[in-house]
Amino acid sequence: MSKVRLLGARQQLPEILPALQDFGLLQLAAAPSGPMIEPAALTTRDRRCRDQLQRIGRNIDAALAALPTVSPLAPSTREVPIAALPRIARQAWRTRRAAEALAARERALTDERTSTRKYRDLFDAFHDALEQVARTSALVTHAFVVPGRERAALGALAQAIAGQAGAHYTVAMHDLPDGDVALLLLLPSAESKHFESIIAGAGLPELEVPDAYAGRPLGQAIPLMLARLEIVERELADTHAQRAVLAKDATPELVSARRPLRESLARLDALAQCATTPHAFAIEGWVPTKAVAELRRRLTARFGAGVVVELLARDQWASDAAPVALTNPQLFRPFEAIVRFMPLPRYGTIDPTPFVAVFFPMMFGMMLGDLGYGVVLAALAVLLRFRSRPGSWQRTVAEIAAPCAAFTVIFGAIYGEVFGSAGQRLLPWKPLLDRERATLAALAAAVGLGLAHVVLGLILGAVSSWRGERRQAIGRGVTAIMLLLITTALLAAFEILPHALFTPAVIAVLVALPVLVLAEGALGLLELLSTFGNVLSYARIMALGTASVMMAAVANRLGGAMGSVLVGVALALLFHLVNFGLGLASPVVQALRLHYVEFFHQFYSPGGQPYRPFARATGDDR
Amino acid sequence: MTGYAWAALSAALVMGMAALATAWAQSKIGAAGAATLAEKPELSTIIVLLVAIPETMGVLGFVVAIVILLRATGT
Repeated sequence: MSKVRLLGARQQLPEILPALQDFGLLQLAAAPSGPMIEPAALTTRDRRCRDQLQRIGRNIDAALAALPTVSPLAPSTREVPIAALPRIARQAWRTRRAAEALAARERALTDERTSTRKYRDLFDAFHDALEQVARTSALVTHAFVVPGRERAALGALAQAIAGQAGAHYTVAMHDLPDGDVALLLLLPSAESKHFESIIAGAGLPELEVPDAYAGRPLGQAIPLMLARLEIVERELADTHAQRAVLAKDATPELVSARRPLRESLARLDALAQCATTPHAFAIEGWVPTKAVAELRRRLTARFGAGVVVELLARDQWASDAAPVALTNPQLFRPFEAIVRFMPLPRYGTIDPTPFVAVFFPMMFGMMLGDLGYGVVLAALAVLLRFRSRPGSWQRTVAEIAAPCAAFTVIFGAIYGEVFGSAGQRLLPWKPLLDRERATLAALAAAVGLGLAHVVLGLILGAVSSWRGERRQAIGRGVTAIMLLLITTALLAAFEILPHALFTPAVIAVLVALPVLVLAEGALGLLELLSTFGNVLSYARIMALGTASVMMAAVANRLGGAMGSVLVGVALALLFHLVNFGLGLASPVVQALRLHYVEFFHQFYSPGGQPYRPFARATGDDR
Repeated sequence: MTGYAWAALSAALVMGMAALATAWAQSKIGAAGAATLAEKPELSTIIVLLVAIPETMGVLGFVVAIVILLRATGT
């Protein structure tokens, strides 16, 4: 990453920012300061324009939030001319007002419909009693509708009232269709005060007559409400249709205006990061070193020699302030997605993407390791590749899946597996490593890969620390050497390597030990032990692989054990499908874990700030 | 009991206890992870990885069980 300073005539500043936004190469840094230099100030017109843009943006956001989604919408890149602002502002305001009014009306009607339906259920349940009370003023009604779980409280109230009112008056409970429970009390008006205190004591919410029907008994109010239910349904459908029409008419233009509005606002905000003298402007920012020439070329093409790009010396900025851009060859780029799950590496430290691009598919293939599954995975990757848009996450998944499939095929050939043990009958060669039987060899291969991976991590850690923390770098290096020496000694002790290597390896370990303690202190020893744990953790590659091959073997044996060929094939296919699904998920999670926990731990230094160039808005408009 | 039966019992115990320990740790991490996901769905990858971390115990239990069985059969 390079830090550059752009210098030019002050009157060019209004044209420079749109140009930089078009190029999308420069991440703006804080405005440079110094004698005679001051941050560029917004003019009164700029401020007015910014306020208006913000207001329009708020109105557009509110209008779109209040309208139903219209899809699909093509993203717009067209510029909103200043002359169009008043019209867009008016349209945004009008649409917002209409959309919010319609949304509020729809909410009110929906609420009314819901509550009327509840009254209707009550009316259906207590039709006769409610008609009786509508004809006399000697009775008062109290109605309660509560969720089914509060039935006990309702029952207690009903018992309390029934005990005091006697059989002459109605106390009735009824289950409503939606699971609620209703209670209706028909009580003497003369004694209503006495019963009211019992009702209040129960603490249950009483069903009130809506304000529009205030003063009427429930028996009269409910039929009136039911008569309106049809009107409510019609009005609701009408409002819904009006909202849909408004959304269809207004959304495309509002969405089209939103992106250019954001870009215009970003340009106005960017002015705060520019500095001016009476005659010149200065802008500082970060550009990937490879793109400096491109920035110069484009500025020269648009502004001639009037704008100068000055490369600032590296020691004038602290590396922590520099943003981080991961730049990898096309082949490795999809694997940046795996690295991006973690916080970005600090500026100046190692980008692990190339190592992930090699080891991740290798570990995946080592775990799944089956020619048949590999071919199926490759077919799925190709299908996803051609059905996805460039830059989409589906495309990234397809591009990661392809090398994983390749390694699955390679290891499938090594293990002699095609849909499990069927490979031993189908393949013309003998497996180099039979996972079903040679468990110890598979374990050794997995731990061996772990040793190589962890030692690579330690070497990267040593290289990464060398510039800043020499002692730590030496500690990492010595840990890597000790790891190899101890492994050599162990292998020599078990006579897998020549026994003559045992003594020199042990002596070398004893010599390296104090160096490690000197470099990293006593904690270095603990680190060494935990690094051994990290290496052993790679045994999961063998464990998952063995589980996968056993599942496949079970699928084949079960299929073969069935009396009917059709049932046997169907059962085997089902088992293989399950195994394939598990075989995709588990190796991905475990390979990720081995990278993040075991490998990255040795060298990865998180904390980088992502490179965010000043550019045109991207992404979905809605 | 024969020597092989003892070995098989030991292997089963090792695997079973390692699996229980893993399951206990994963239950705690899983519950906390589910609560975290309710508020920050963007952390799903990290949560899946955190849940996968205690599996080391299960893996090591599996390896030890395999070694016990291999020694018992003299492979």
